[in-house]
Amino acid sequence: MKAAPFAYVRPPTLDDVLAELGGGDGKVLAGGQSLVPVLAMRLGRPATLVDVTAVPELTEYGPDARSGYRVAAAVRQRVVEHDPAARDVPLIAMAMPFVGHRELRSRGTVCGSLAHADPAAELPAVACCLDAQVEVSGPGGARTVPAKEFVTGAMTTAAGPEDVVTAVTFPAARPGDGFGFAEIARRHGDFALAGVVCRVQVADSGAVRSAVLTGFGISDRAVTRDVTALLATGESEEDLRPATTELAAALVDTGGDTHGSTGYRRRLFAVLAARELSRALRRAREGRTTA
Amino acid sequence: MTAAPERHDTGSRRVPAPVARVAAHETAEVTFVVNGTETTVEVPPRAHLGDVLRERLGLTGTHLGCEHGVCGMCTVLLDGEAARACLLFAVQCEGAEIVTVEGLGSPDDQHPLQQAFSAHHALQCGFCTPGMLMSSYDLLANEPETAEEDLPEAMSGVLCRCTGYRGILAAVSDVAGTYPDGVPEPRGCAPRMLVGRSAASRPGDAPEDTAAAAPQLSEVRLPSGPPSAVVDVTSQLTSPVDRVWAVLTDFDLLARCLPGAQLVESYDEDRHRGRATVALGPVKLSFEGLAQVVERDPDTHRLRFHGQGKDTGGSATSADVVLAATPTADGGTELTAHADVHLSGRVAQFGRALAGDVSRRLFEQFAAGVDEAAETGSVSEVSLARRLRLAAGAARDAAVGALRRTAHRVRDRIRHGNA
Repeated sequence: MKAAPFAYVRPPTLDDVLAELGGGDGKVLAGGQSLVPVLAMRLGRPATLVDVTAVPELTEYGPDARSGYRVAAAVRQRVVEHDPAARDVPLIAMAMPFVGHRELRSRGTVCGSLAHADPAAELPAVACCLDAQVEVSGPGGARTVPAKEFVTGAMTTAAGPEDVVTAVTFPAARPGDGFGFAEIARRHGDFALAGVVCRVQVADSGAVRSAVLTGFGISDRAVTRDVTALLATGESEEDLRPATTELAAALVDTGGDTHGSTGYRRRLFAVLAARELSRALRRAREGRTTA
Repeated sequence: MTAAPERHDTGSRRVPAPVARVAAHETAEVTFVVNGTETTVEVPPRAHLGDVLRERLGLTGTHLGCEHGVCGMCTVLLDGEAARACLLFAVQCEGAEIVTVEGLGSPDDQHPLQQAFSAHHALQCGFCTPGMLMSSYDLLANEPETAEEDLPEAMSGVLCRCTGYRGILAAVSDVAGTYPDGVPEPRGCAPRMLVGRSAASRPGDAPEDTAAAAPQLSEVRLPSGPPSAVVDVTSQLTSPVDRVWAVLTDFDLLARCLPGAQLVESYDEDRHRGRATVALGPVKLSFEGLAQVVERDPDTHRLRFHGQGKDTGGSATSADVVLAATPTADGGTELTAHADVHLSGRVAQFGRALAGDVSRRLFEQFAAGVDEAAETGSVSEVSLARRLRLAAGAARDAAVGALRRTAHRVRDRIRHGNA
């Protein structure tokens, strides 16, 4: 399990990173916790690894002026996990313990999870559910892409081979928000067999204003739906189950494998979705967002 | 050593310096601190840290299992946080501070986690143990607030296939209870000898034409950890003390008294570059290195020097040697040699006993050579050959001794097992 030979460079500026990626046979290396296994198994043989961790502006993280929490490309998951300012985005703290293991989060990056775009990964799902904005730089300049448009398929994104994801901004929680997160995996730290992320917003009266649900591990990418109407069918897990079961039939299209059939994943999704939507609604009404 | 991370000021925040492009088949010099010792290795980009620790620095305590980030065997501390050594290329580690299980504690001074693993039978085959220790150190040092019921999930980053985890969790829980505010720092991080070059000898720091200049004092650095072997040999020589002392102060002659040693170059009276070959049956090691006299007392006939050498195959040795000549009543000389011998890399796997036996026999032959040189002013080729055969004998004796000891241990174990 040794990677095939590659050239390595750790440029000092973003411009240098883009210059190194020019030609398209390079690959961005930040934490490497998803990339290096691919190299070790020789599923990929990039000519050059362009390490972005020395670029000063890519090491920034913290509250963003536009009322969100911004994480640049070289910021490790564990840094965000322990950053008190990240509590503005409660789903980060809810999802992070499920992202690999502690030993992987100490190196893995938030932007790297997005750029890798594993269909069963937690952080892309959180980004899609919250409508996070992904900043991408490339030969044509910098652009911002909504997370839902950024992920275009299994391990495929809107970032081309000469692009680099520079940052992601997660919108902060607002009053009246309630969140839910759950996943089922064979072992803690594994990619999910099925998982859900949701955000429910209620008015002062307690009426549901909006509800968004993202499922992951159930298709070739995280799938996001507006479920405001669905929440009209009930508030408890039991009451919501028929609607989420129907939703599962529409959304869960991943093929079965040794760990679970498509039917099993549908059932997982239906149960988790009903449970977490119900919880998120209760939290929103009680003004607790998460607990 | 600053191995102990500050709480929550995590090492994952460290921003590395830029690195110019290293082509796929070129090597790059990477300098990092391993277990408290700064070291420089020259590696191709694709060499992962686990391989470099094991193959280049001789730190085989870090195990390799799956080599793609799943099993956790290779877990080490990188800037105070647990990380998979197989998912890190060594070129990414410039300036990093790495602690391996060798740095956590030593056989004589185990870390509380190691003691707890022992007490709770948290290891059976031992393969996952280094990973478990480094992972649990990270957990207890950086996230000491982890609740007992969360330990199974918190410790799920390293797989064990034989103990069933109960003992491991009991050990971690025990230490967590004893040190609620975080575990004590790693205990084995005193400067020590590594096979990699010290940063002091980096080419590029000095112009090419000075590369062959006298070695800097810092090049001959002695490790401060416990030696692999301690040798005390006393020999009765027939030559009078003055003549013995004359040999001891003539480094060229002195080198020839040691079987297999050869003086390559003397920079000044006290600093010498040399070569030494050691042949033990099929084992042939060729050390290139430096010797530096640090003490020379004509009144007490005492000579102390530090030596260090490196073998191309990834072994290193260094020694702190004190030679003292004392006149005896019969006009002869008693020559005592005391040496703290440090071994690292593959040669260290011979074990302390064998290393001690071989070193002792070499010193006995060395004393015979000194006696001959004191008497005749030179060391004859014939006696060199004879002594080389002796060296082979020493190897055989040492090997037989080691086998005997192993047999004893096995028998003891069987006895205890039956008891």
